[in-house]
Amino acid sequence: MRPFSFHRPATPDEAIALFEAIGEGARFVAGGTTLFDLMKLDIERPRHLIDVGAIRGLDGIDADGDTLRIGALATMAAVAAHPAVLRDFPVLSESLARAASPQLRNMASVGGNLLQRTRCPYFRNGVGGAYPCNKREPGSGCAAVEGLDRGQAVLGTSAACNAVSPGDWPVALVAMDALVELRGPLGQRLLPVEEFYRLPGDTPHEEFTLRPGEMIAAVVVPKVAAGRASTYHKIRDRESFSFALASAAVALDMEGGRVRRARIALGGVATKPWRAREAERLLAGMNLDVETALDAGRAAFADARPGRHNAFKPELGARVVADALLIAVERSRA
Amino acid sequence: MIPTPFPDRPRFDARDMVLGRTRYAADRRLAGMLHAMTVPARIAKGTVTSLGAEAALRVPGVVRVLTPDDFPEPPPSAEDGPPPPPPTLTSTVSFRGEPIALVIAESLEAAIEGAEAMRPVYAEEPFQALMDGLEADREEAEPYVAGDAAAVMARAAVTVSETYESPTQHHNPIELMATVAEFRDGRLSVHECSQSVGLAKYAVFAALRIDPAVVDVRSPHVGGSFGQKGLAQRQTALIAQAALLTGRPVKLVMPRGQIFHVAAYRPRSRHRVELGATGEGSMIAARYDAIQEQSRQGFFPAAEYHEAPIRLYGIENYLGTGADIRLDRQAPGWMRAPHAQASCFAFESAVDELAWKLGQDPLAFRLANDAARDPRTGRPLSSRFMRECLEEGARRFGWKERVAQPGSMTAEDGTLIGWGVACGAYPSSMPPAIARLRVGADGRTRFAVSGHEMGQGIRTAIASVLIEELSIDPVGLEIVIADTTSVPQHMTAGSWGTAGCVPATMKAVERMRSAVAELVGGQRIAGNLHRQLAMVRRPSVEVEVSELAPGQKPEALEELKAGGIVAMGPEYPAFTSMSYGAHFVEVRVEPRTRRVRVPRVVSIADCGRVISPRTAASQVYGGVIWGIGASLRERTEVDPRFGGYLNSDIADYVVAVNADIEEIDVGLIDRPDLIANRAGLKGLGQVTMAGVSAAVANAVFHATGKRLRSLPMRIEDLL
Repeated sequence: MRPFSFHRPATPDEAIALFEAIGEGARFVAGGTTLFDLMKLDIERPRHLIDVGAIRGLDGIDADGDTLRIGALATMAAVAAHPAVLRDFPVLSESLARAASPQLRNMASVGGNLLQRTRCPYFRNGVGGAYPCNKREPGSGCAAVEGLDRGQAVLGTSAACNAVSPGDWPVALVAMDALVELRGPLGQRLLPVEEFYRLPGDTPHEEFTLRPGEMIAAVVVPKVAAGRASTYHKIRDRESFSFALASAAVALDMEGGRVRRARIALGGVATKPWRAREAERLLAGMNLDVETALDAGRAAFADARPGRHNAFKPELGARVVADALLIAVERSRA
Repeated sequence: MIPTPFPDRPRFDARDMVLGRTRYAADRRLAGMLHAMTVPARIAKGTVTSLGAEAALRVPGVVRVLTPDDFPEPPPSAEDGPPPPPPTLTSTVSFRGEPIALVIAESLEAAIEGAEAMRPVYAEEPFQALMDGLEADREEAEPYVAGDAAAVMARAAVTVSETYESPTQHHNPIELMATVAEFRDGRLSVHECSQSVGLAKYAVFAALRIDPAVVDVRSPHVGGSFGQKGLAQRQTALIAQAALLTGRPVKLVMPRGQIFHVAAYRPRSRHRVELGATGEGSMIAARYDAIQEQSRQGFFPAAEYHEAPIRLYGIENYLGTGADIRLDRQAPGWMRAPHAQASCFAFESAVDELAWKLGQDPLAFRLANDAARDPRTGRPLSSRFMRECLEEGARRFGWKERVAQPGSMTAEDGTLIGWGVACGAYPSSMPPAIARLRVGADGRTRFAVSGHEMGQGIRTAIASVLIEELSIDPVGLEIVIADTTSVPQHMTAGSWGTAGCVPATMKAVERMRSAVAELVGGQRIAGNLHRQLAMVRRPSVEVEVSELAPGQKPEALEELKAGGIVAMGPEYPAFTSMSYGAHFVEVRVEPRTRRVRVPRVVSIADCGRVISPRTAASQVYGGVIWGIGASLRERTEVDPRFGGYLNSDIADYVVAVNADIEEIDVGLIDRPDLIANRAGLKGLGQVTMAGVSAAVANAVFHATGKRLRSLPMRIEDLL
């Protein structure tokens, strides 16, 4: 435990102004399900917490326009159970419903969820310098690269880090070309969720493209028909309350039994939510059956670079993509 | 005469539990209480050259930092006394996470902050955390021998010889290990979640040299324990000393990450099993070697991997060897179905492989190899209803519909269906007991006996006997267990909890009945015992009884009073007593991702007479669920470069959750074993899990044709 100050602004402008005024050591917090956990582990050490949870009007779910607009403070549970989300974007609903536990889903916000940090055990359990970790202690090295890497990433890795981006929701958003609405000292901007995440490269501690003082205000999902023929398929070490070994967010735009356009994103296997564009291209114009689905899945992992204990991930991931495609094509017929 | 079965009865403390009234050790809040936090070593082996406590002592609220210098020298270890108490704080680090200091503070937050502010300096030494590559450094255990396995194996028509592995696994009950100690009016009072208040008391005495006569230890409720809190715990003496030195009550609730590194766990073990049979399918020889990862000083016995397998079947020639591989780890220990979880997985997998090689149905093969006596001693068995477990299980499961060829049973979507069976056995042991029963004319009954309530339902079993066999008012019944200020307390473990209290309860009931009958004389008084006492104007009657295991010498009672572990079994002078079980498992393996699910299990147990049907059935559910977790989920990861445990929390150490568990059908044979003890009961808690992993592995083989010999069986093993 380290002492910190606690602030509860009433509006976004107030929150941003507070952040600017405090400067170094300030952090926004909403549901707290990630940040408080990491503070207890002494990984996150904010000196000032700005709790945006009291701000009104940031938790709305607006499904009436051309886009689905979800306020950053909407809870995971509320979005997962929202009728329009269930109907138009099963991939989004499932990605939330299959994450965490009911208690966490009731607390966690969908904005804060985008900022969840890796579950790499060397990152989380290395408090006190037990394990070198470039995310926790830049430049200290990476214990996972030569270590017990069964759960580590096979896509987007670097010599400095192979930690998996743990989220489910961001993977589904990336598949749907969603945007994140940011507000900060310099105003408002919209950024594709895919560009919100950085590859580890030589600087794995820099995970997001968020600028200082910027807060997440909303997530905006373009409305497309393919949303209804979508799914989030997640394979993990147990059937609930566990992170993905491999997952796939898939949405299909079909035309007369053939794929017009497929959207595929991968979770549990990459250092950021991973769009599998090569696999998408392969499927365009194809008749979707088990064989083509598996071919697409394998194409998604063509660039995979497994380590010592996770050589199974490309094959498992390919099969997860295949199963997801087959579920989605079923839904396209409904 | 066969006694009538006990009726189903609700859990004795169910209402208090659901209302949140049950008080556990960590719930105790005393006036002026301080909070403590242990400081774990960040190296796997070496010396603490300086503790670096300066910054910790500057944290507001920190009262004191205890160091190894605050404790007496460790006592010399006695050859035949109770197990040595765990060490206290140390500057000689034997494993990562070993406690090197204790920060005591006015608040929990300050204690944690102080512990994090410690800056110890170490002189590190090379260490070994895993047995890989060290398999030749065997410390041999006493072999288990029957007949001449080598000679007979050479004559076997069909043999199998395979190696199986069970991983490091850790206890993860919801309740964290907690101790509250208070020194007041010349007495040291300890509240702790413990399966053995007697050993805790002894540990305080031995580590701190405090007269045991002034030490009281109580553990009225434990929030789940299956061996983790059996032996004395490391923190007990630490917190007792903290209370003595500060003069204030002190509480420690150890964080889960530290518990992983300090508490008992199931060691990783490797099993080479060779079985030989005649062409007709009679098993005639077994050679079985088990090695396990062991700490430098640990005494969890490698020999006992053979306790169950040697008695599962009538194999007349058995050579069971075992060995420790000593490593720089904390001591492994007892964890549900200790030994048998791993050895029944290995042995019952090998039996399945042998049946397959012989072209025999695995159920029929097991039934054909029944045992009539204990192959190890040649003595009779007190009872054995393994055949009944198999037959009843097969009937409920629908085994006769099974198609033998692996991969031949599939669902419409291509999902592979596999059916597997396996047996388990576990020693039925019994400690001596002293019990005191008082019935009052005021409607109250107080019964004190040895026992600990870890959630298994020991109070319910005791109440079942008292309420069923004694005419008393259940509302006024108080059951005192796990309290060193009452009757002597034996460790409750090894599936001997019920044997350690229920026979004594029955004896006390008989004694009470005759005592009251004597008082009442020939009069016929309507109503219960309370009313009868009131009518003859006796405020109360108290009886005290003692009970020994069959063939046990009376001196055992003196050892019990001195805090020893004096349970007998499974080998008694005149017989051997084992509990048995049979598990039938269906798995479904998804066609592409190869995800394994367990839609249904039938599990039948032979535990002699069932004393408390509801909590006994719960034991079986729990054993099966843990068995599924141990088969498909649980494994503690050790990175040999660092030592310690990488996945030391319950997010990363994956236990089974509700979504993993589907239908479990439980049956109890309920045939009294009146040779084993006057109650006719045998142990239950451990046998419920023994063999589950083999049944899952055998079902996976039946579904896929792939034989998995290493636990846990994970998705990548089937891709």
